[in-house]
Amino acid sequence: MIFLRYGEHGIRIVFGKSIDLETHEKVRRYYFFLKSLRIKEIIDITPSFTSCLIYFDGELISFQRLTSLLMGREEAMKTVEIPKPTLHEIPVMYGGECGPDMEFVCEYSGLSDNEVVEIHTSVIYTVFTVGFMPGFPYLGTLDKRLYTPRLETPRLKVPEGSVGLAQLQTGIYSFESPAGWRIIGKTDKKLFDYKKEPYSLLQIGDKVRFIKI
Amino acid sequence: MIEIFNPGWLAIIVDNGRYGYGDIGVPPSSALDNFAYSTLNYLTGNHTDSPVMEVMGRGFAIMFDVDITCAITGAKVSAYINDVPLKSWTSFKATKGSILRVKEVTEGLRYYVGFSGDMVLEKAIESFSTNLECRFGGYKGRPLMKGDIIEFNNVRIEEENAVAERYIPSMNPPHLLRITEGPEIGHFTPNSLKNFLKNHSENTYSVSTKLNRTGIRLEGKPLLFREKVDKSIISEGILPGTIQIPGDGQPIIMLYERSMGGYARIATVARIDIDMLAHLKPKDKVLFQMLGIEQAETLWVKKKRKYLMTYFG
Repeated sequence: MIFLRYGEHGIRIVFGKSIDLETHEKVRRYYFFLKSLRIKEIIDITPSFTSCLIYFDGELISFQRLTSLLMGREEAMKTVEIPKPTLHEIPVMYGGECGPDMEFVCEYSGLSDNEVVEIHTSVIYTVFTVGFMPGFPYLGTLDKRLYTPRLETPRLKVPEGSVGLAQLQTGIYSFESPAGWRIIGKTDKKLFDYKKEPYSLLQIGDKVRFIKI
Repeated sequence: MIEIFNPGWLAIIVDNGRYGYGDIGVPPSSALDNFAYSTLNYLTGNHTDSPVMEVMGRGFAIMFDVDITCAITGAKVSAYINDVPLKSWTSFKATKGSILRVKEVTEGLRYYVGFSGDMVLEKAIESFSTNLECRFGGYKGRPLMKGDIIEFNNVRIEEENAVAERYIPSMNPPHLLRITEGPEIGHFTPNSLKNFLKNHSENTYSVSTKLNRTGIRLEGKPLLFREKVDKSIISEGILPGTIQIPGDGQPIIMLYERSMGGYARIATVARIDIDMLAHLKPKDKVLFQMLGIEQAETLWVKKKRKYLMTYFG
């Protein structure tokens, strides 16, 4: 774990260099540790695959003071309470109009669409992080047989709920959006609701299983 | 109440942002020119986190159905109330039945319109700011349109107040953006980095037409990636003002609508120049100057003092 300065008001706390569960667990533990400290000078925390980004209020605290404060509290990390991940089942309509890239994925992988669906639904995925847009989960790890490159030119618009693949990840577009991932299906499950806490259905570390409908 | 007669190119409700939800991908969506935003609330006597309108383009027009103090800050505009010209960065009284019109934007891009009173709006996730992509916050989650009506509580007439000319920032190009090193600055060849930071007029970048509240795409000599360096990174949190370099080598300055990014972060615009990003227009020239973090901090402390003089000097 290293503390790196990023701009005047950012600290990157870096735990690894690759997308893997071990690094993810470290990021997640540190994120809940940071939250538990309730430091008012911390404005925002963005955990992702390999790091936690802290955005701090430079009017209230300096980089040096904040990092030494955090290092001084590290003992508390061992006892921090980490919520048990919730398992979510996400019903998906695969292929056809809902999955305009299914044909490409079949061609690229040499699998039939039934095989693609079977492999995609057979894994319990981990929410490595939520970002890019509110409520968008980056899910891993995808079975290697479904490895798919991103689109060279992103689509201008995919509907809310679109389920996509990119390299060894799969994700769900929580809002209508431009998209560079290969879309293989669509869910009606609402991933983000600004009217209701906790706003995002999926939280970092949660588990997801796709169900074919 | 007021009625929108014409929203200009784009008029949205903003405040000082939606923070604390980076873990679920919610971006700040705050006013892009924070100094103009804060000064507007100062001129209208509102709370420091009150919602205001952020407007682009000429043509903006509203009709008042109430006597109320208002003000315009940010981009310099030629504005009229009925046919009487108004001064930017100065509060004025609008009377019931009068019409405020912005005929021209003469310097900068985004201007802010505020009123001495509380707009009747609902917060979404603790903020009034509009998240345009996800359509929540602000006015029904969308830009203001002709015919929209905004009601007020706590309407007031305040003493007229003005910001001295010397405190109003210049928004004319070329824009010198001071920056600090980004996490992936080492991903680029020394030569292309040198060029990126060269302040010669032939090496400037210009603002492209691809520009919105999410980011500003620049055009110029492309940054070159070192050999054996991936052109994308494992997606990570980003801060407002981060300059990302996608595969084509053309910089994108990220604003307040993304919490994560997957492109190499070459640099971050220093706090002292971050408000200027609100005023970059297509074809404007942009120059970069690298600062050490301590230098950036010192400059910001000095500028903040000047800001305080604006209010209390």
